[in-house]
Amino acid sequence: MKNEKMLLIPKIDLGIVVDHIPAGMGIKILEIISQYEEIKEVPVSLGLNYESRRLGKKDLIKLQMEFLSPEIIQHISIVAPGVTVKAIKDYKVHSKVVVKAPQEIRNLLECKNPNCITNVEKHVETHFVSLGKDCKQVRCEYCERVFDLNELHTLVD
Amino acid sequence: MKKDLISMEDLTLDEVKDYLVTAARVEEASLEERVKLLPGRIMAALFFEPSTRTRLSFESAMHRLGGSVIGFAAKDATSVSKGESFTDTIHTVESYSDILVIRHPGEGTGRLAAKESFLPVINAGDGSNQHPTQTLLDLYTIQKDLGKIEGLKIAFVGDLKYSRTVHSLIRALMMFNVTDFTLVAPESLRLPAHFMRTGQPGKFTFHETEHLEEAIRTSDVLYMTRIQRERFPDILEYEKVKDSYVLTAEMLEEAQEHMRVLHPLPRVNEIAYDVDKTKFAGYFPQARNGVIMRQAIILKHLGVSI
Repeated sequence: MKNEKMLLIPKIDLGIVVDHIPAGMGIKILEIISQYEEIKEVPVSLGLNYESRRLGKKDLIKLQMEFLSPEIIQHISIVAPGVTVKAIKDYKVHSKVVVKAPQEIRNLLECKNPNCITNVEKHVETHFVSLGKDCKQVRCEYCERVFDLNELHTLVD
Repeated sequence: MKKDLISMEDLTLDEVKDYLVTAARVEEASLEERVKLLPGRIMAALFFEPSTRTRLSFESAMHRLGGSVIGFAAKDATSVSKGESFTDTIHTVESYSDILVIRHPGEGTGRLAAKESFLPVINAGDGSNQHPTQTLLDLYTIQKDLGKIEGLKIAFVGDLKYSRTVHSLIRALMMFNVTDFTLVAPESLRLPAHFMRTGQPGKFTFHETEHLEEAIRTSDVLYMTRIQRERFPDILEYEKVKDSYVLTAEMLEEAQEHMRVLHPLPRVNEIAYDVDKTKFAGYFPQARNGVIMRQAIILKHLGVSI
């Protein structure tokens, strides 16, 4: 039974599985990942609404690539903390990490304050610090303004 | 390791108290003693926007300690006007000096300079974000004039919405267990609500009023601010509130004997000139304390004890 389910999207011999994505978030995470140049040519499968003991329903994404950069993992972590990133080798899970909400976010978000120096000197890396464990509110380390995470745009496009 | 002064948010209560103690030592020392403390040392005062008081106060402080000053007072006179980046200016000037004092309209410039430079950096105002040396000199003035900070009743008057001086001082006073604040402001310039959500329910009282007279009667310190024309996109809005609160000598008749009127200066017309001659006027000594506190800051950040 279990094996039949696994066949719903293809098994991979070498790659990355972003698993335990809360159902409904899969497409959003795929959109985020797709922005990165290194993903552009990679074969990707998206699975939606799989049964999950932990979540009830879950989404998952399989990427036929060897390595997911820390920038991409950081980006996923701020949108969907709690997802699992697994590295697959020879069809087996070689290693896995549960992605936590970050306490610091570097060079990913754009500060919304037009007078912040990071918006004037574009070579300066942005730096935000989470104000709680859930990373819902962040503070710009430069201009010290506090923002809701979901009101900030990312620098990646 | 070098030590920067960028934001009041970085400081612990003990660190703030240490600045106050150092300033008191500076004030006790004679001019002859002080001038021997920093011979041959150079302070770079990089003022990317005009500022009379802060710049002159820092320059005076460095000269009082026997050091010298290089720098500029407006970005038009620098390579910035030729398109040089802020960080390149910092990297160039750090070769010429021992400590950097920076005023810049961009928020976060102090933090950026501190990260980029191997020299100690003092933030002398970054846009509407932080101006820690003003807050420290305000605290020093209150302690000196009233003998303590803890437990005082402090009233803030005027522009409580945009004034970074007010925001920063309120936060610092809370560290000192000042719990009773009176806020006098027109409706459109009230203190942003998040300052009153302290996370410690019941500890702090914020009494909001539009009546200045009430604040004069009950407070130990009356901290006046200028209503800043440049903050108003609509000049008509500014005209409506600009003369909301004008303090006169006559109004001070009901003040407590020890009460002090403070103001970060410059004033426009919120304090009438007849207040200057009263015993309550603390704002010019406050400016003098600015030079004392800035001497303390320069010494501490150059690692020289007094």
